[in-house]
Amino acid sequence: MIRAGFDVGGTFTDFVLEDEAGRWHTGKRLTTYPDPSEACLEGLRELLAKAGVSLAEVESTVHGTTLGSNIVIERRAHGVGLITTAGFRDVLQIGREKRYQVYDLQIAKPEPLIDRSMIWEVRERVLADGSVLVGLDDEETRATLRDIARKGVTSLAVCLLHSYINPEHERRIAELAREVAPEMVVSISSEVSPQFREYERTSTTVVNAYVITAVREYLRKMSGELARGGYRGRLFIMQSGGGVATAEAMWNLPVRMIESGPAAGALIAARFGVASGHTNVVAFDMGGTTAKLSMIVDGEPASVGQFELHRVKLAAGSGIPMNVRSLDLVEIGAGGGSIARVSQGTIRVGPESAGSAPGPACYGRGGTAATVTDANLVLGYFNPARFAGGTMTLDVEAARVAIGRVAEPLGLTIEEAAWGIHSLVTLNMELATRVVSIERGNDPRELALVATGGSGPAHACRMALALGMRSVLVPAAAGVASAVGLLSADVKFDTSRSFVSRLDTMSPDRLTRMFAEMEAEAVHVVGKSSAGSNLRLVREADLRYVGQGFELTVPLAAGTLTSDAIGEARRAFDEVYARRYGCAHPDKPVEATTWKVTAHGDSRPLRLPEIASAPNGEPARSARSREAYFPESGGYVETPVYDREALLANHLIRGPAIIEERESTTVIPPGMAAVIDRHGTARVEVER
Amino acid sequence: MNRPDPITLGVVWGALQSVAVEIGTTIHRTAYSAQAREGQDFSVAIFDRRGRMTAQGPYSPGHMGAMNFAVLNMIEAFPLDTLRPGDVMLLNDPALGSGHLPDFFVTQPVFLGDDLIGFATNIVHHTDVGGSRPGSQAVEGVFDYHQEGLFVPPTRIVSEGVPNEQLLNLIAANSRTPENIRGDMAAQRNALRVGERRLQELVARHGVELYEACIETILDETEATMRAAIAAIPDGRYEFSDYLDDCGPNTEPLRVAVAVTVSGDSIGVDFAGTSPQTETGVNAYLNYTRSYSYAAIKCLTDPYGPMNAGALRPMDVTAPEGSFLNPRRPAGGGPRAIICYRVFEAVLGALSQAVPDRVAAASSHFSNPTWGGHDPVSGRRFVTYELILGGTGARAAQDGVEAMASAFNASNIPVEALEAVQPAVVERFELIPDSGGAGRFRGGCGVRRDIRILGESIKFTNLSERQRFAPFGLFGGRPGALGRTVVNPGRQDERLVGGKASLDLRYGDVVSFQLSGGGGFGDPRERERDAVLRDVRLGLVSALAAHEQYGVVVDSGPSTSDTVPAVAVAPASGGTAT
Repeated sequence: MIRAGFDVGGTFTDFVLEDEAGRWHTGKRLTTYPDPSEACLEGLRELLAKAGVSLAEVESTVHGTTLGSNIVIERRAHGVGLITTAGFRDVLQIGREKRYQVYDLQIAKPEPLIDRSMIWEVRERVLADGSVLVGLDDEETRATLRDIARKGVTSLAVCLLHSYINPEHERRIAELAREVAPEMVVSISSEVSPQFREYERTSTTVVNAYVITAVREYLRKMSGELARGGYRGRLFIMQSGGGVATAEAMWNLPVRMIESGPAAGALIAARFGVASGHTNVVAFDMGGTTAKLSMIVDGEPASVGQFELHRVKLAAGSGIPMNVRSLDLVEIGAGGGSIARVSQGTIRVGPESAGSAPGPACYGRGGTAATVTDANLVLGYFNPARFAGGTMTLDVEAARVAIGRVAEPLGLTIEEAAWGIHSLVTLNMELATRVVSIERGNDPRELALVATGGSGPAHACRMALALGMRSVLVPAAAGVASAVGLLSADVKFDTSRSFVSRLDTMSPDRLTRMFAEMEAEAVHVVGKSSAGSNLRLVREADLRYVGQGFELTVPLAAGTLTSDAIGEARRAFDEVYARRYGCAHPDKPVEATTWKVTAHGDSRPLRLPEIASAPNGEPARSARSREAYFPESGGYVETPVYDREALLANHLIRGPAIIEERESTTVIPPGMAAVIDRHGTARVEVER
Repeated sequence: MNRPDPITLGVVWGALQSVAVEIGTTIHRTAYSAQAREGQDFSVAIFDRRGRMTAQGPYSPGHMGAMNFAVLNMIEAFPLDTLRPGDVMLLNDPALGSGHLPDFFVTQPVFLGDDLIGFATNIVHHTDVGGSRPGSQAVEGVFDYHQEGLFVPPTRIVSEGVPNEQLLNLIAANSRTPENIRGDMAAQRNALRVGERRLQELVARHGVELYEACIETILDETEATMRAAIAAIPDGRYEFSDYLDDCGPNTEPLRVAVAVTVSGDSIGVDFAGTSPQTETGVNAYLNYTRSYSYAAIKCLTDPYGPMNAGALRPMDVTAPEGSFLNPRRPAGGGPRAIICYRVFEAVLGALSQAVPDRVAAASSHFSNPTWGGHDPVSGRRFVTYELILGGTGARAAQDGVEAMASAFNASNIPVEALEAVQPAVVERFELIPDSGGAGRFRGGCGVRRDIRILGESIKFTNLSERQRFAPFGLFGGRPGALGRTVVNPGRQDERLVGGKASLDLRYGDVVSFQLSGGGGFGDPRERERDAVLRDVRLGLVSALAAHEQYGVVVDSGPSTSDTVPAVAVAPASGGTAT
């Protein structure tokens, strides 16, 4: 079976083709604007030609894109309107009201996606139990819809109070809209996100309505072009939560594919972790401006039911909230471009970044600030002649001058300052990892670290050492990891619905009926996507003690629910609670807020490529050597440098050592050693 | 003591800050009650062995001033040579802690071997500690703190790791929500243990001597940064005054008078001229007054910088003893949160003369009502706690933010979350047009939230402000519209009720909380025409107000929503700078 994956990023679009023999062919080209599908189709054609395969032979393609996220950040959509319950027109503007920076008096909220003049109210009211307090008047609604159409609305979001429990009024508005304005696309919240908490549900529905026109146009074009090229397979789209679904499934729910890049990256980290015997890992991806940290638990990237799009300077609470399953990710301002400066007698690194333009001083593009990349160059970790696959030559002297400006006021040598910058950015990431793992109830000492990204492998070993982690894994070909990740994703579709009720008074029959409806919906989507019929349904519930404002997710039995099954869920909740928070409260009543179903379709595990082997424990041969700085060795020492491409399975590399590959550099400090495994992953064992 | 090398300093400093965050994360993760979990109404800090704060986590500003002094008060009660590893001390004495009984301050000495190396501490606001009304924050009928709940002087609640269970039972039994208090106290102790362990690891890694050298440098460097920021403020004595509406029905306004003196690299905040302490719960013990004074100065000097004892050195906050900002025992202080905006804004108002580009006009004032009664559907008694928040005041180069908390930082409660668990129907939740103070930059709008209460025998306690004294504007900016609380708006029995009234309500009564608008900044006539037209198009400013206040004539602009009360014109003077 031949499969193709392509992932559109901000700068590059990455490609991977898995051939009949399970071999990977990879490619990369610049993303095209304004139409990213051009680069996708060009790059795909080129890759197919290289592999000698025709599009007709490809059985499935998986596509990841940040299109939706870009439309939102650029505020590019027009003609988007919103209908709310009377009295709640400002739900989007009011939000949750908490300050995202406590002491900064100059902060602002991001501009709402829909202008207040494009928001209409309808007279109706549903209560929390689903009963109707005020009915919806058809005539009034038609008049409102006519007004909406007159104002030029082509995509309409509808979010009424408590529609997650009683969607009748929203459905009726959608029907009337078809009658009054047949061309108008309508997104109703009870379909997009039937979960309680009106701001978050409205926000999700509005984002859906905001991107739907452009996403449909894009998917239509992409499918059309693929078909014209002779493609007969399905086009799958990566969702933010790490599962794929067909392009058709995204037709009405484009919000599900809002940001797929990080999910694909974590999937491949998970896959490499499992292949090396580590099912619980921290995926650590350090790029040019930020470092992303995510937890992999039992071989699966941890996901969350909510996330925020486009936070202001990464601050929690500053972005657009969405009830969309997404990767559980923490992002901090620590990357190769992070700027180091002198402050309060020491060095602070980041969160400001020199980005790629002007970039670090050593790029020679006019940047003068000392960055992490400048420090890594001065320390001898990076090869000035082979940076970014040899496409760039770095200016060591410019880096030394920039670092010198940090060193001088502190009375440090340039080398000491460079080491300080390297150590302190590593410290920032170490501390973030500590919080990420303990917040989620994991002890970092029991986890492995999977490092990717241009800068990740240069810092990973030091970070693992500080955290007491035993293993660091640096997969090969990390440069196109996200495209490869697409191929390792399962077909998956989730549905959820809020129904706030105490477990001890809840009707099992009503719950069974609700799950039957939700499961039919999920099966409908996944069944159509899956070749086989091995469909798996997983039920979950968000539960909390009565009086608490936060929930934990627990599994729920399949089939017809009985009061025993509900009691079982309650016991499971006490257990999960105790594991996470230390002790449970079995005597307190428990209530459910949201019920969830995920349908998993067939999955075809990705075969990781294998490389040729050397005899066990054979020392690898270095390609060259250069001076690199290791304080435990007393400063600069002649350090062997290995070419990643030349390494064989079983090769042993003792630190201090440097491994170079196209897009990244791995630094192995003294006292640590790496073994290359059969997939080409460098496995570093950290001595405690 | 030698100065540590810059890199080690950076490592110790980063790690110390991280220990504070880890203590906070532990509380956040393990607390039981919603306000500790979701409202993050807690604070955490690390101290050195001399009781100096070395790092504070980024949580409630209301505890910022208290932390530093509470530890010193604890050390005074328990001399250092009496402390043992595993001891935990508790206090909620309003005068020694953070100003009201629900705030439980706990501290644990941390030892490395036999050496005391510092203290881990935290404060959590507990749901209820008894007293005359649920939530322990009554305004009326409170003439001392003995009516506000259980009073705990400095008390050792855990001795060498062994908790005093009888004492803990006694504390829980005094609360209307004993599970919450147990759960949240357990979280506080978990957090202390995490702080103890991580501080021990940190000091063991670097050695006591190097660690202590780092601490000296951290405090000195933070002080130096703060002093440099203060030195950049022009020297002078800057005065400002403002009023709280009242401290209950039929009471007089309370005057907040402040003089901020910037002299070189230090700053003094003196509340001389402030009204005397009250025989109600509306009093702020000095630590609370300090907290929001520090918070205001931090906003204007080093908003993203570290908070420790060094940062506090250049600041001195005083208020006359016996005033309501520095009351004598045993003044009540339960609902002190209602005071915090006024303290914060008075300092901003004073310093607006010195650093106009950095300040903001006064914000919309929040309402924090509570009510309880009998729910005829469930057959249970219930207590509802609401928090309604409006917009912020305008800034020198930006409008105020619509619907965002100010100094007292919290989230609103989603309508669907409230209605799912309480017998209430929210009838509207919207911005109030024409309420934002006009100005070159407009203040954020007030917010209106109408709630129909579906309970019987309702005991309702209002806690609202800015119904007589509008949020002030700055530099020609107009004050925001006054707030008001109305029972059954639009009905025959409609009536205006006081901001701190206690009422009996009937099944189906509607309470409409209409918050004041934020103050404007700069002359409204200088506002860009396009900005005025935009506000009119959005329905946030009426065509009439555009004409009258901004001098902008709108041809055929839509009039504002018909649901909105008329603008309060020329409200009583808010703050005044002198």
